[in-house]
Amino acid sequence: MSGMEEIAMTDQRATPLVEMRNINVAFGGVRAVQDASIELFGGEVVGLVGHNGAGKSTLMRVLSGAHPADSGEILIDGRPAMIRNPRDAKTYAIETIYQNLALADNLDAPGNLFLGRELTTRIGQLDDSSMESETRKVMQRLNPNFKRFRQAAVSLSGGQRQAIAIARAVYFNARIMIMDEPTAALGPAETAQVHTLVRQLKSEGIGIFLISHDIHDVFDLSDRIGVMYQGRIVETVQREGVTADDVLAMIIVGKRPEQLTSLEKAQLSV
Amino acid sequence: MTQIAESTRADIPPQAPTRGGIGDLLRQTEINFRLFGMLVALGVILVTFHVWSGGTFLRPENMMSLAVQASGIAVISTGMVLVIVSRNIDLSVGSIVGIVAMTYAVLMTDILPHVVGLGVDFPFRWLIALVLGVGLGVGIGALQGFIIAYIGVPSFIVTLGGLLSIRGVVWYFSRGAAVTGLDTDFRLIGGGAEGSIGGPTTWLVAAAASLAIIGLLYYNRRRRRRYGFPLRPMWAEVLLACLGVLFVLGLAWVANNNFWPRGAAEQYARANNIEIPAGGLFIPSGFPYPVVIVIAVTLIMTWVATRRRFGRYVYAYGGNPDAAELAGINTRWTIMKTFMLIGGLCAIAGAIAAARLNGATLDIGLSYELYVIAAAVIGGTSFAGGIGTIPGAVLGAFVMQAIAYGLSYVGVNSPGQNVVAGLVLILAVGFDTWNRRRGS
Amino acid sequence: MKTSRLAIAAAMLIVAASCSTAAPATQPPVTDAPTGAPTSVPATATAEADCTVAVSWNNFQQPRWAAHDQPGIKETVEAAGGTYIDQDANLSNEQQITDVDTLISRGADVLIILAQDTEAILPAVERASQEDIPVIAYDRLIEDPDALYITFNNVGVGRAQAEAILAAVPEGNYVLIKGDPGDPNASTFLPQGWDEAGLKDKVDAGDITILNMSGDSWPDEAGTYTIAWSTETAQDNMEAIIDAANAEDQTIDAILAENDSTALGVVAALEAKSYAFPPLSGQDGDTANLNNVALGKQYVDVWKNARELGKAAGAAALALCEGQDMAGLTMDEGLVDPSVAPDSLTAQDFETPGGNTVKSFILKPTPITKENLNLVLEGGWVTKDQLCQGVDAASADAPEACK
Repeated sequence: MSGMEEIAMTDQRATPLVEMRNINVAFGGVRAVQDASIELFGGEVVGLVGHNGAGKSTLMRVLSGAHPADSGEILIDGRPAMIRNPRDAKTYAIETIYQNLALADNLDAPGNLFLGRELTTRIGQLDDSSMESETRKVMQRLNPNFKRFRQAAVSLSGGQRQAIAIARAVYFNARIMIMDEPTAALGPAETAQVHTLVRQLKSEGIGIFLISHDIHDVFDLSDRIGVMYQGRIVETVQREGVTADDVLAMIIVGKRPEQLTSLEKAQLSV
Repeated sequence: MTQIAESTRADIPPQAPTRGGIGDLLRQTEINFRLFGMLVALGVILVTFHVWSGGTFLRPENMMSLAVQASGIAVISTGMVLVIVSRNIDLSVGSIVGIVAMTYAVLMTDILPHVVGLGVDFPFRWLIALVLGVGLGVGIGALQGFIIAYIGVPSFIVTLGGLLSIRGVVWYFSRGAAVTGLDTDFRLIGGGAEGSIGGPTTWLVAAAASLAIIGLLYYNRRRRRRYGFPLRPMWAEVLLACLGVLFVLGLAWVANNNFWPRGAAEQYARANNIEIPAGGLFIPSGFPYPVVIVIAVTLIMTWVATRRRFGRYVYAYGGNPDAAELAGINTRWTIMKTFMLIGGLCAIAGAIAAARLNGATLDIGLSYELYVIAAAVIGGTSFAGGIGTIPGAVLGAFVMQAIAYGLSYVGVNSPGQNVVAGLVLILAVGFDTWNRRRGS
Repeated sequence: MKTSRLAIAAAMLIVAASCSTAAPATQPPVTDAPTGAPTSVPATATAEADCTVAVSWNNFQQPRWAAHDQPGIKETVEAAGGTYIDQDANLSNEQQITDVDTLISRGADVLIILAQDTEAILPAVERASQEDIPVIAYDRLIEDPDALYITFNNVGVGRAQAEAILAAVPEGNYVLIKGDPGDPNASTFLPQGWDEAGLKDKVDAGDITILNMSGDSWPDEAGTYTIAWSTETAQDNMEAIIDAANAEDQTIDAILAENDSTALGVVAALEAKSYAFPPLSGQDGDTANLNNVALGKQYVDVWKNARELGKAAGAAALALCEGQDMAGLTMDEGLVDPSVAPDSLTAQDFETPGGNTVKSFILKPTPITKENLNLVLEGGWVTKDQLCQGVDAASADAPEACK
């Protein structure tokens, strides 16, 4: 961590940006998230890792309004928040970059960026020109080479689609971002671009939850790492204090490093 | 929320033409090639029939017959585009037309004059019937739309059930008998000599439309300049303006060269003390009301689809239902509205059909759904969802009717017409699919 | 969550399906005929009178059957103490076979069948014959030598249509509007009648020109067919024919339409084109068309008093029930109106197109023109209000029946 980021973090440490307390989500008989609690401060990246079905996406879907929790509470800036649907989440300046990017293939970049929040003229008509203009401006910051503002999203590359998804979050002044596998479909150059972007957003004081399977991505970007195992949060650790192996152990076995038995340690190192 | 920044000039230079070649020139005009291709296809079909008929097909009277016959299907097809774009289907449109048409007939001949006691000569009886009929169409659409959107039953099943049960209900209105004798004012909706807007009004409409086209092009260019977007080359703007104006004036010319039949003209002359000149009295008909209705519906529906949030949400849902849901769009209400809309359009088409027939029969509207869906699909709407244009569907309706009417005109029998119609549908969709695959 | 949704959906579907007249299998049509008499089982009927007459309709939705045929049969049967039951096949051949089976299970003693298809119905007839149940082929031919054929003379209908029109327009340009190409009435019997009245001779002699030939073969390519006898289709086709005639500067002098639903479409097309009304034919005596005759928009409507046909079939059914032989079957003299009754009151031989010889009662149709509209009024077929809607009684053109 650089000195600058450390200062930024300390300044905002007073109240967490997001606090999720004792969240429970069950699907039928399956408890997808059990009594999970996690915090996010402004200007930091919290990586969220765990095996398939550990509950990472589900927990984040609660925050993004895509799926309501059965019990538990969410606090934004220390105050209780009601998030029942995606619209509610957006009022709290929570933006999500979904795994499947949630772009409509048949709409162009401006159409996707403003989906659900279209700009209208005084008489209530869609103001396509303004939307295109605003899209151009925000994309200029994120991906200056992007030119295809009028083409349908289906004909854009993975990286370009990702840029639009992130631009959407940025444009609407997200203070809290949830990124679900943002580099999964990208090549190395585009992945590097996303990393630069994330650091930039962090420096602007935005808090980011980052879900990823890629340990290296997580270690590269995160300040803290939350490990989930079978719906529970095993532990949230500072990235500085752990190694990749420690984290892997927590993912696979679901225990904190100091709790591992010697047998388990032996099994893991094989 | 961010404010819409007032930008004077962004750092994006207008794109200058780089390479030469016809393809590039055409691309600069930004004409939608699919639509243009369909217009060309329509022209080819008309010319083919002209040759086949020994040179008598391309007369204004015939073109007006064709247009009036296509109008019901064309009106409904505008709504079908939105339904199919949002990954649904409506098989019940023909039955809705049937029940609404029968409702108009029964209201005007029986219920309003006799049961409600409005008397046989009440002037706005037809308007009341029309309002009630549209209400019925929208209501049926709302019911089906609710079951589809909120309860989650697939649209294919719900509207198939609608197709059968609604058509069955029509029988009970009149025990299957035809109900005829509608208000003379209502019958104007069906076209014919008096059911047209007349010569002077037609020129007015054409003039207004021409001005509107030029105005739109000018306004569009100004807006692009203000935001610093790439501009069309000036020659392209002029070309589009000329083509648009010529097209509109051409339509008006055809409409105004369709004259009242001699008998009707003479009757009119006698009634209004006009002297009949030596060569005969030629009263131009102008645009028939059904055609005016089609034009109005097309414009309104296109505006809704491209300029209103509702339209944008329909297309977004069709492109990616999850994305729409996650963007916070009320997708269920959007879907329900598409069915209410098409129900209302069926009621309008039902008015045209009943007016043309001066009544309603048990089987009015039968099989409309096939032609409406075919029109939408020929016009470029895809069953995968998310893709389709309203002008395309309207053109599709005219293409299909041109074939049906043309075959009737040259004397090919009804079964033959159906064979050709089916083949055209397959060809059109096949070509479109091949084209898309090639492009992507 | 999902199960309750499906349950609601299933309930909706069941409601929708049961409201539809296309309901599956054993859904009998609404048998509340104008008399309102419910289907009743006779309480203490004598052995001979306890006859169950079963009717298999092919398309009950057409107005004629509920309004006229059904009451004719039902009243005749019930007046003699018999029982009337029926089923509707809703235009489906398969459904009709099932219907006949159902009727036999319900205790039919004699079957009256309105066949959807003259040959597809044969398995049902076979089954009936195995059960010793006599079969009456009602209105439509059944290609079986043992079925009693009771019908109006369909060829005679065509002849009456053409006779009336030819008398009014002996020379000139004709337009022929035919019905559904799959219906033998449309393709064979009616055109045969037209020719018997002299149409083909006149065409050959050059007196009459058919404007809408689709080829050279007579009669198949003479005129335009109308799929499903649809009024809208007839209107569209007729508009195209009028346009073509106008383009070639030909006047349409007369129109032979095979039935009333197509004739209605023809009238609508003529009105749309502000074309004067040339003499036009039809058949069935539909209310709207009789009104058009009164208004002068249709020239002749060949009326088949279907109530009389129903009476004849009902009486024949009762006789067959008692065990009478088909060959010697004789109608009572006053049973049907003399103008409608066949030439001989005893069953006659009829040669079918399929080469069978059947016993038959062929009733006579009545051509209705402006002059004899009173017949339909007296027959209780339509009311005066319906017949004379829109007619100016004071005008010189008004028919007698409306004054």
